Amino acid sequence: MDFSFTKEQLMFKKEIIRFAKKEIVPRVQEHDLKKQFDFEAFKKLGEFGILGLHFPEEFGGSGADVITTVLAGEALGEAGVDGGLTLAYGAHTFLCADTIFSHGTDAQRKKYIPKLASGEWIGCMGLTEPNAGSDVASMTTSADKKGDKYVLNGSKIFITNGPIADVSVVYAKTAPEKKHAGISAFIVEKGTPGFSSGPNLIKMGVSTSQTSELFFNNCEIPAENLLGNEGEGFNMSLQTVEWDRSALLAPFVGAATYMMNRCVDYAKNREQFGRKIGQFQAMKQKIANIRIFGEAARNLVYRIAWCKDQGRPMNHLEAAVAKLFVGDWSLAPSNDAVVLFGGYGYCHEYDMERIFRDSRLAPIGGGTSDIQKMIISKLM
Amino acid sequence: MNYDFTDKEFTLFIDIHTLISQWAKENNLENSDAELSEHQIRQALSQLSKTIYLTLAMEKSGKSDKYNGLLTLMGAMEVIGAISPSLLLSVETSTRIFGRILSTWGSDAQKADLLAPLIDGQLIGAVGLSEDAMNVENDVLMTTGTIDGEVATVSGQKQYVINAPMADWFAVAGTVDGKNALFLVQKDTPGLSIGKKIATMGYQGAAISKIMLSECKIPATQVIYPQKAEQLLGTLKLWENQVLIGASLGLMKAAFESARDYAKTHKTGGKPIIAYQKIGFKLSEMLTLFQTSQLFAYKAAWSADADPKDLESLTLCAKVFCTEAAEQVTAKAMRILGGAGFVSGNTVEQSFRCAEYGLFAGTSTEISRVKIGDNALGAMK
Repeated sequence: MDFSFTKEQLMFKKEIIRFAKKEIVPRVQEHDLKKQFDFEAFKKLGEFGILGLHFPEEFGGSGADVITTVLAGEALGEAGVDGGLTLAYGAHTFLCADTIFSHGTDAQRKKYIPKLASGEWIGCMGLTEPNAGSDVASMTTSADKKGDKYVLNGSKIFITNGPIADVSVVYAKTAPEKKHAGISAFIVEKGTPGFSSGPNLIKMGVSTSQTSELFFNNCEIPAENLLGNEGEGFNMSLQTVEWDRSALLAPFVGAATYMMNRCVDYAKNREQFGRKIGQFQAMKQKIANIRIFGEAARNLVYRIAWCKDQGRPMNHLEAAVAKLFVGDWSLAPSNDAVVLFGGYGYCHEYDMERIFRDSRLAPIGGGTSDIQKMIISKLM
Repeated sequence: MNYDFTDKEFTLFIDIHTLISQWAKENNLENSDAELSEHQIRQALSQLSKTIYLTLAMEKSGKSDKYNGLLTLMGAMEVIGAISPSLLLSVETSTRIFGRILSTWGSDAQKADLLAPLIDGQLIGAVGLSEDAMNVENDVLMTTGTIDGEVATVSGQKQYVINAPMADWFAVAGTVDGKNALFLVQKDTPGLSIGKKIATMGYQGAAISKIMLSECKIPATQVIYPQKAEQLLGTLKLWENQVLIGASLGLMKAAFESARDYAKTHKTGGKPIIAYQKIGFKLSEMLTLFQTSQLFAYKAAWSADADPKDLESLTLCAKVFCTEAAEQVTAKAMRILGGAGFVSGNTVEQSFRCAEYGLFAGTSTEISRVKIGDNALGAMK
């Protein structure tokens, strides 16, 4: 075993933290308060190369390995970038662009990946439906082939980047009787007749990410927009899980370090009863709890990333363990951070309350904690 | 980065399991008979000496160069701890705490006379550290030695000394002229008396007692003055914490596997209880804590060899997480077994009782958190 990062990886992480602190973090609180997507910050992520980090250079990426890609996500969290922007980045790069890259034709790759990697276009993924959340197979959005077109009908919900996406990877049934095996994936572009998105859903946290419903009303798309073959959609959605359990969880790990650093700074300066509050054991305990969570979560996330770099088929049990741990065990430390800040922690001026709200997504998004427990108990 | 043990390490774990597991099944290693415990520990040490195990993580031992030091040891401790927590505590106290005192600070003669037989499984060591008045490591040691020519005279009292009733040699922490030192005392030395084995909640197979030193005379050459003497207690606690982390992994492995197997075979309402979500989910939480603990323990062990700049704090983090996880996992296992778990002598009940020890032994989880906080806060105390 070897838990070390290369010097290059560590230097890159530092660079991202420096970049994010300068270019993105100063804008976070204002956008969070207004629940607005930060287009400029997103574009800067693209210019810095983060949005397409793991794609080959010929497609506008840097050809980075998975570990480095995950480090980038951790660095954004550690710098203080909000969960809304890192979620938007995750949905864009891993759920949309990577699905096109991994399963698309050369023509599809060339058309979409460079623009997604640069941030010129924004991507989203449409999987969840009002009555098909954890139970994906019960989706009802249909795709009927008519000549050289598919006609999509149905709706999706809770789609990150939905209102702002230029490109969507949409899952729909081409053979409803086959359940999972009847699900196919399609590329749908913004402006396609019959395709529309709903207004931004007001959420508890990750507020800067824009989330909406997607509607398909006799939406005709070219047959060439099918990703892979008919019936392969469910497996494609499963493959995004590897990214979901590593790169999308990484910002939560980074956020733990950010919280700890903020708590340390506050505890060293805030005085009560004539002493810095950092001198009280109760405050030290909170800081310790945050660090312990971060250290524990980091190992799980990088294990998934390392296995992916080795080309191993995903270990669903280990992936579910990582998701369950980050989801359920991240709540207590973010609560500790709010309480350490006291009244200030409850106010938007200090960002602990935002991180607390953002962290509530961890046990829900990308498969709830209960679903992870179902997976683990079936596989053990 | 690499998250796999090597084939060689896996082979070692299998060898250890093969050597110990069947023999452990035939002998009740969690018994409370001190004489029987001594006999069994000596047998176990003899068996383990057939592998590289006793040399792992020892300074300059040579024999274990091709292994990954403390990291390999952590994986191996998990194997032994799952078979018998008491055996692990006894063997590790002797080998990794008493032994590392010798391998780190001992003279060449001490290494030849004591360390060599120790790693050959022929000698049992014990370490006297805790004192009645010393609840945290910041307190001053009351055990003292005075040097007069070639003789050192040691007086003091130690409590909760693991292996004391069976040890051949003791390393006793104290002071000489106000500076921390360790006194190597042979079991029959006049002035040294050993208390009776105390009854404990868990680790019942481990022989634990007080030792009293009353003007105990030893050759002055048997006094060890560690480099950086001010760090002596911290180093001993670090080693103890590492053992407790490994022990916690073993407890979780035993409890989880027992509970999982029980849930798959015990039926209620016509189906195995694992088919009920409340049981399946509980097992999922247990496995999540166990796997997270494993990686945490391995990372902390790896850092001892590869990246020691944050070793103390990271080890404390791992110690808090793993020992608290062991408490939770064993408690959940008890709930899954229900009445069957409440019957004395089963694996889960034993693990549950042992898990409590990890929370206060070594650096307690409370003090650990204070230290982790202090580390994060820097110079401010």
